[in-house]
Amino acid sequence: MKPPKFEYHAPTSLDEALAALGRYGGDAKVLAGGQSLMPLLNFRLARPAALVDLNRIASLAYIREHDGQVRLGAMTRQRTVEFSPVVAQRLPLLKEATRGVGHLPIRTRGTIGGSIAHADPSAEYPAVLAALDGEVVARGARGERVIRAGDLFQTYLTTSLAPDEILTEVRLPAMPAGAGYALEEFARRHGDFAIVGIAAVVVREGQRCKMARLATAGAGPVPVRLRAAEEILEREGLGDAAIEAAARKATELVDPDADIHASADYRRHLAGVLTKRALVRAMGVARG
Amino acid sequence: MSVNLPRLVGARVARREDPRLLTGQGSYVDDHRPPRMLYAAFLRSPHAHARIARIDVSPALALPGVAAVLVGEDIARAAKPVRAESKTPTVKTTSFPPLALGRVRHVGEAVAMVAAESRYLAEDAVERIVIEYEPLPVVRTTDEALDPARPVLHEDAGTNLLVAREFARGDVDAALAGAALVVRERFRFHRHTPVCMENRGCLADYATGSRTLTLRSSAQCPGLVRDVLTDLLGMPEHQVRVVATDVGGGFGAKASLYPEEIATCVMARRLGRPVKWIGDRREDLLSTTHAWDEIVEAELGVTRDGTIVGLRAQVTADIGAYSIYPWTAAIEPVQTISFLPGPYKVPTYRGRARGVATNKAPLGPYRGVGRPPAVFVIEGLMDRAARRLGIDPTEIRLRNFIRDEDFPYKSPSGIVWDRSSFTGSLLRAREALDYAAARAEQARARRAGRWLGIGVASYVELTGIGSAIPVSPGMPVSTGTEAATIRFDPAGKVTAVFGVASHGQGLETTLAQIVADEVGVPIDDVRVLHGDTEVSPYGTGTYASRSLVLAGGAAILAGRAVREKMLLIAGHLLEADPSDITVTDGRYAVRGMPDRSVAVRQIARAAYSGSRQLPKGLEPGLEATKFYDPYYGTASNATHLALVEVDRTTCEVKILRYVVVEDCGCMVNPLIVDGQVHGGVAQGIGAALLEEIVYDDHGQLLSGTLMDYVVPSACEVPAMEVHHLETPSPVTLGGFRGMGEGGTIGAPAAIANAIADALAPLGVEVAELPASPDRLFHLIRRAPRASR
Amino acid sequence: MVNVRLKVNGVAHEGRCEPRKLLVDFIREDLGLTGTHVGCEHGICGACTIMFNGEAARSCIMLAVQADGAELATVEGLMRDGKLHPLQEAFRDHHGLQCGFCTPGMLMTALDLLRTNPSPSEREIREGISAVLCRCTGYQGIVNAVRAAAPVLAAGR
Repeated sequence: MKPPKFEYHAPTSLDEALAALGRYGGDAKVLAGGQSLMPLLNFRLARPAALVDLNRIASLAYIREHDGQVRLGAMTRQRTVEFSPVVAQRLPLLKEATRGVGHLPIRTRGTIGGSIAHADPSAEYPAVLAALDGEVVARGARGERVIRAGDLFQTYLTTSLAPDEILTEVRLPAMPAGAGYALEEFARRHGDFAIVGIAAVVVREGQRCKMARLATAGAGPVPVRLRAAEEILEREGLGDAAIEAAARKATELVDPDADIHASADYRRHLAGVLTKRALVRAMGVARG
Repeated sequence: MSVNLPRLVGARVARREDPRLLTGQGSYVDDHRPPRMLYAAFLRSPHAHARIARIDVSPALALPGVAAVLVGEDIARAAKPVRAESKTPTVKTTSFPPLALGRVRHVGEAVAMVAAESRYLAEDAVERIVIEYEPLPVVRTTDEALDPARPVLHEDAGTNLLVAREFARGDVDAALAGAALVVRERFRFHRHTPVCMENRGCLADYATGSRTLTLRSSAQCPGLVRDVLTDLLGMPEHQVRVVATDVGGGFGAKASLYPEEIATCVMARRLGRPVKWIGDRREDLLSTTHAWDEIVEAELGVTRDGTIVGLRAQVTADIGAYSIYPWTAAIEPVQTISFLPGPYKVPTYRGRARGVATNKAPLGPYRGVGRPPAVFVIEGLMDRAARRLGIDPTEIRLRNFIRDEDFPYKSPSGIVWDRSSFTGSLLRAREALDYAAARAEQARARRAGRWLGIGVASYVELTGIGSAIPVSPGMPVSTGTEAATIRFDPAGKVTAVFGVASHGQGLETTLAQIVADEVGVPIDDVRVLHGDTEVSPYGTGTYASRSLVLAGGAAILAGRAVREKMLLIAGHLLEADPSDITVTDGRYAVRGMPDRSVAVRQIARAAYSGSRQLPKGLEPGLEATKFYDPYYGTASNATHLALVEVDRTTCEVKILRYVVVEDCGCMVNPLIVDGQVHGGVAQGIGAALLEEIVYDDHGQLLSGTLMDYVVPSACEVPAMEVHHLETPSPVTLGGFRGMGEGGTIGAPAAIANAIADALAPLGVEVAELPASPDRLFHLIRRAPRASR
Repeated sequence: MVNVRLKVNGVAHEGRCEPRKLLVDFIREDLGLTGTHVGCEHGICGACTIMFNGEAARSCIMLAVQADGAELATVEGLMRDGKLHPLQEAFRDHHGLQCGFCTPGMLMTALDLLRTNPSPSEREIREGISAVLCRCTGYQGIVNAVRAAAPVLAAGR
């Protein structure tokens, strides 16, 4: 299983990378961490004319705070995210999600931008982006734009990024202090992609639920925000009955596909189970 | 005389293999790169069933760096047809062309072979081959295969029913008709594959000057491969060398002679250059033999108190597109019906087996061969009977076990169990688990709404088989002997050479332990060579839990012969009668006179110094070669006990405790025995809960990556509690029984039974493996009784 | 063709290869270090795991050219002065290997685990080594080996 031939570019600046991409009219692929793209190349399922390797662009890896947002350069390694004190403090859901991304050796190379641009709906990062109302910055020949999570993921392995665009930054609003959070994943084997996963964030105000966010992994072609389930919680609070109702609503909101690992029915069932588990655990963490 | 070195047999000796394997100095096939070597890649069929209308290899040949491209006709001209013959008339012989001839019969079947300067280039060349297929209807299941309206895969067989066999004893129909209770079930053991961490590979080198062929291969059976390969290639056997290098796991997957090995030899012979093929994981999942794919419809008749009166079963195995070579497609289904009665007294029996061809990869041996499904069935039936009668599942087994006073006991298929610890292993397992406490814990858990279950599986396996019984029923190749050459050098060190071939089970250590004990030297003075037909005395290889029985037995015989001679020489050197010599710590001394002694080194030196230092008439030299045939063989047995919890919400199965009490006779190295149990149980857990080969309706392999065929990681396997009984085999030298396959034989059944026990209040039975969460979810939803 | 200059186990090397050449193949063929093994070529089995600038990474899903300028550590570099590394000793003592094929990847992965978590629980050990698939050992010997080696490595640091 060896890759087919391709031309190879290892630019040291973003401009160089964009120029290289542009030369191939859509037939070049960006190489970030390689944990998803390299297997496709080895299977010869991807056959780009050229690879534009972003790993030499040091300026694309950073974690910064800006105006209530945490901004992560697209080439920030998942391993760096996992051990970042800023992420631990401001985006604890992201830290938890990162620990579910494969295994440590995968996170050594895998990047946050690469994972999101790859858009596997079973992956953790797209669900977190959706749950936290995040956005990404993309730069292309026509300049720079910001794309919200809801507008980014189109279907399996497909985003609204143009072929000549590079995802350069991931922006996530810092989670409110005292927010409860959890990412509940169910997989056949530790570290595998989720069969179904639910990312949950709740903000309490006494007995009330001031904010609830629920997003799925593995329950359809894109991560789904379970808005109607969120509304139940925001309306009815975070008691047992409301959580049960939100979990039930979750099963109605998802439209999962079947594959050899799980039927649609079972995935739908899991969506409810994991929504409840995620909310219960998030409640345990929440303060306020 | 007496040997007073601390005995190595029975000791937890650290492995001699480890230093090189730990430091990256192993010698696997892919580590070899002789000069001028070419790399091979195969074009594999994208169709499950099709005629090959046209192949044009010229675009591939035109690529610089490509040395040759072969297709089916090229192999047919250079080698005899590959036909796994069987002595059993109801097993049909069919051809298995190394490269497809006119027709492809499963996705992934090798169609063409490229040899090029690099694997990268070879794969590029493969893509350039122009090939036109005319798809044929796909035979997807055994039902379709038996439908006369569907295509026949092998015209010369005239049918897709390639294997039929029956074992019977007594009038089982009458017994079941009159039984107080008959439990019946249709069991489905889905398709699995061994997934050795090292993919299959081989390196063939034909030396045109000496007309010798050397095949380095990731093979379990170098001697067997040499036998059959030389026949196919029409080469004299003494001109062919087969070397199993360090091999990264076998489990039966590497026991057959594969198309790629034959094709690589043909390519190497044609080009006069070394040719190496290393399979990748995609090829492994597509074309390494699959396993255990059976439907078993079985019935067990019992009396009111749970005593077995009869067992009746129909086994239908989906043997895939080809009968593997040389074992034949019979190996899996016939073993199932041979061993279905298990460790029980079964007065009447009828087991019928069918092997049916479909458009899938061929079925072949995988750890346990036929017995994982067999034990799943019989142990499942025993539990069903126990539940219906309100008898504890361990009790019903104790009532039916073949007991001490029943041995030797002839099973319904003619196998004789010599003396095993069926009762002892179950009692010890119950004790180890603290069975009563576990049942109490289960009761508490049930009241709290949790689904906890205890599953038991007891089994017996035929091991260390000699020449009276072919390892694969009906296979004409003899598997009943192994040999050992033990040779001292003049400095007093020992080389021991065997025809078996270690692929992880530590034979370099265990055989060294046996040899060192026999000739009275420290283990560091013994070096074991194996797996190389150039240096080994004749043997076939390592499979079927035979190596320690057969090779170990031969080592004992050869060791005894060498020791006899050493005593004669020592007696001569010490001017004493050999019967007055004792051996202590590597020194041969006159009894009662420790100062009158010689070191092993001196005896060896004397042996090679010519007649002057030897007793009159004694031939110089100090070595012996002995062959051993245990004739019938022996048996190993075990009881597995699993305590599991089925998660009420996700239907995932968590194994809380796993107990094994196994008896492999005299253990040579308990460290290694433990390791074999752990590894086998892990594969059994994978088989029971995670792993499944899945084809779609077009015969496409859906489980084509390691993400889709899910083998367990360290998180899916619990810590296991392993206990040993040692009932020496009464019939083998050393009392060894052979082991290694038990984990996969017992674990699927134990786990299935534990799940069913957990779900018993709902009336859910487990008749299908793997018991994935999705399957259990649907079973529970359809359960006869609602969950509280 | 591209140039690759790198350090492996402290020794400088230089090679030339196609950009598509996988790092694991470069290590095995161009550098002749065959201790790192190829198990799946899609990043699941972990047999190819090496240290890349001090962190465990899968070399079957990296390109050789990406290692230009990097420092790698492979299993061949674990021994010091002919003595087994304490982790290797522990594997031997606890029967943490059988066929040996996953072992180099398992060793490098365990080392990385112990560097980031010097005193792991059994659960954490199992989660850490779940990155590497083993078909022979059932993991029990490996878990025991890592547990035994952890305090030795922590003391040595």
